[in-house]
Amino acid sequence: MSLLYSVKHAINFGFSLAEVQFKERNEGSYLGILWYLLNPILMFGLLLLIFYDRVGGEIKHYPLYLLLGIIIFNYFQRVTTESTICIPVNKGIIKSVNFPRLALVGSIVITHIFSHFFEILLLLLFLIYYKVSPVGIIVYPIVLIFFSLFVYGISLMLAAIHVYFIDLKHIWDFLARLIWLGTPIFYPIGGQKRLFIVNLFNPIYYYMTISRDIIIYHEMPPLWMIAGAAFYSIMFFVIGFLVFSKLKNKFAEMI
Amino acid sequence: MNRVTVTDLSKQFKIGFHKNQSALGRFTSLFSGIEPKKIIWALKDVTFSVKEGEIFAVIGNNGSGKSTLLRIIAGIYDKQGGEVQISGKIVSLMNLTAGLREKMRVRENIQLCGTLFGLSNRLIKERFDSIVAFAELEDFLNTKIYQFSDGMKERLAFSLAIHCDADILLLDEVFGVGDQDFRIKSVKKMYDLIKQRKTILLVSHNLDLVEEYCHRAIVLERGKIVASGNARAVVDRYRHHNYDIKQ
Repeated sequence: MSLLYSVKHAINFGFSLAEVQFKERNEGSYLGILWYLLNPILMFGLLLLIFYDRVGGEIKHYPLYLLLGIIIFNYFQRVTTESTICIPVNKGIIKSVNFPRLALVGSIVITHIFSHFFEILLLLLFLIYYKVSPVGIIVYPIVLIFFSLFVYGISLMLAAIHVYFIDLKHIWDFLARLIWLGTPIFYPIGGQKRLFIVNLFNPIYYYMTISRDIIIYHEMPPLWMIAGAAFYSIMFFVIGFLVFSKLKNKFAEMI
Repeated sequence: MNRVTVTDLSKQFKIGFHKNQSALGRFTSLFSGIEPKKIIWALKDVTFSVKEGEIFAVIGNNGSGKSTLLRIIAGIYDKQGGEVQISGKIVSLMNLTAGLREKMRVRENIQLCGTLFGLSNRLIKERFDSIVAFAELEDFLNTKIYQFSDGMKERLAFSLAIHCDADILLLDEVFGVGDQDFRIKSVKKMYDLIKQRKTILLVSHNLDLVEEYCHRAIVLERGKIVASGNARAVVDRYRHHNYDIKQ
């Protein structure tokens, strides 16, 4: 099988699977696509209620700051959590057909890019409501490409390692919650040096800050931050790809 | 020309491996020492070849290594030793309905499985009517397939597999799908395929079918070939456990 054929095969199958996963989730449910929005809206409403008076004053356009933070983290969390178990979930086809396994994780990224799109539309409504020009969203797809590359890389790693360590699912659920608390989603980093240093090792911090700078504050993000985001994207993608490629031949035997 | 050439193929499984799979289990095994694992040779020095235009059967009791052999040829399992040479595109159908999504309609399932088997979107579109017609599901295009009978799902999966430009079709226990009429149609289709110099390699417990439709066969027992040759003769030996053509 030539490389070009394999790549085409993976992309075609990845998109078909993403379409089916997206439909499976929405068809037959009463609220359909609205379920995607209910989660960020409720989370947003509650956090806004709790923190608006305490930390809201320090941050310009706090509701938008908060909503964008939630949306970005949601995308990361949904893709990684789902990818962790995608090999056993697709056991049937893995054991019977030799197809590019990378497409399984890829399809989950694509599925959630669809739902992320709806959340971004929600953000757009809020931007209009708070009279902030939504023009920055035009640049957001570039950030999303790098962010998705990072998410894809870490998801590949999780999916591959989970086949060997079943406990990884529980460990990851817990870790994701820690990352949620450690990332400045509903609070600002402000002058907290220790928190800032820790977040330098948190790739999501970079994508979140860049997105906020561009979409809400219409500012150019600092160059070191852009470089950091690009570095994490490429690094995680390469490591994820290598780990997955190394372990994938044993998947069919291990599940 | 040989489509599949298997030379001295061996494959081992470590049984008892799953026991230590949790992180805690792995950690504790560091202290308790590595648990001895039983090694089972699923295949041992298996050698055979399948030519183009041939229907070739692998028979044997449960656990004899038939499905493992097919999976290694398909590239799903790694091999431990030996060589497998393939000439052409493989489409494998091990578990007929594995790729189908219950909550999706026929149309969506054809798109999904078509791409799973490596067809382009253009080819799926072109062959859509033919896939549906062969599976005899024209009246159910918009039905979600969880409402289908098992036979209908199997017909759809089989129809998909034969429309995916396979040079080598690997079938695991799927030769006799559907009702009598569909079975006759499937066999006819397989003969059409082998006339086009395609190759069909199948695993089956249905000895009558193997005897009637296959050209050559091998018998596997505990991962070794114990009989090979003309399908009729091999089935006869298998029935009487008379393996005098040993390799």
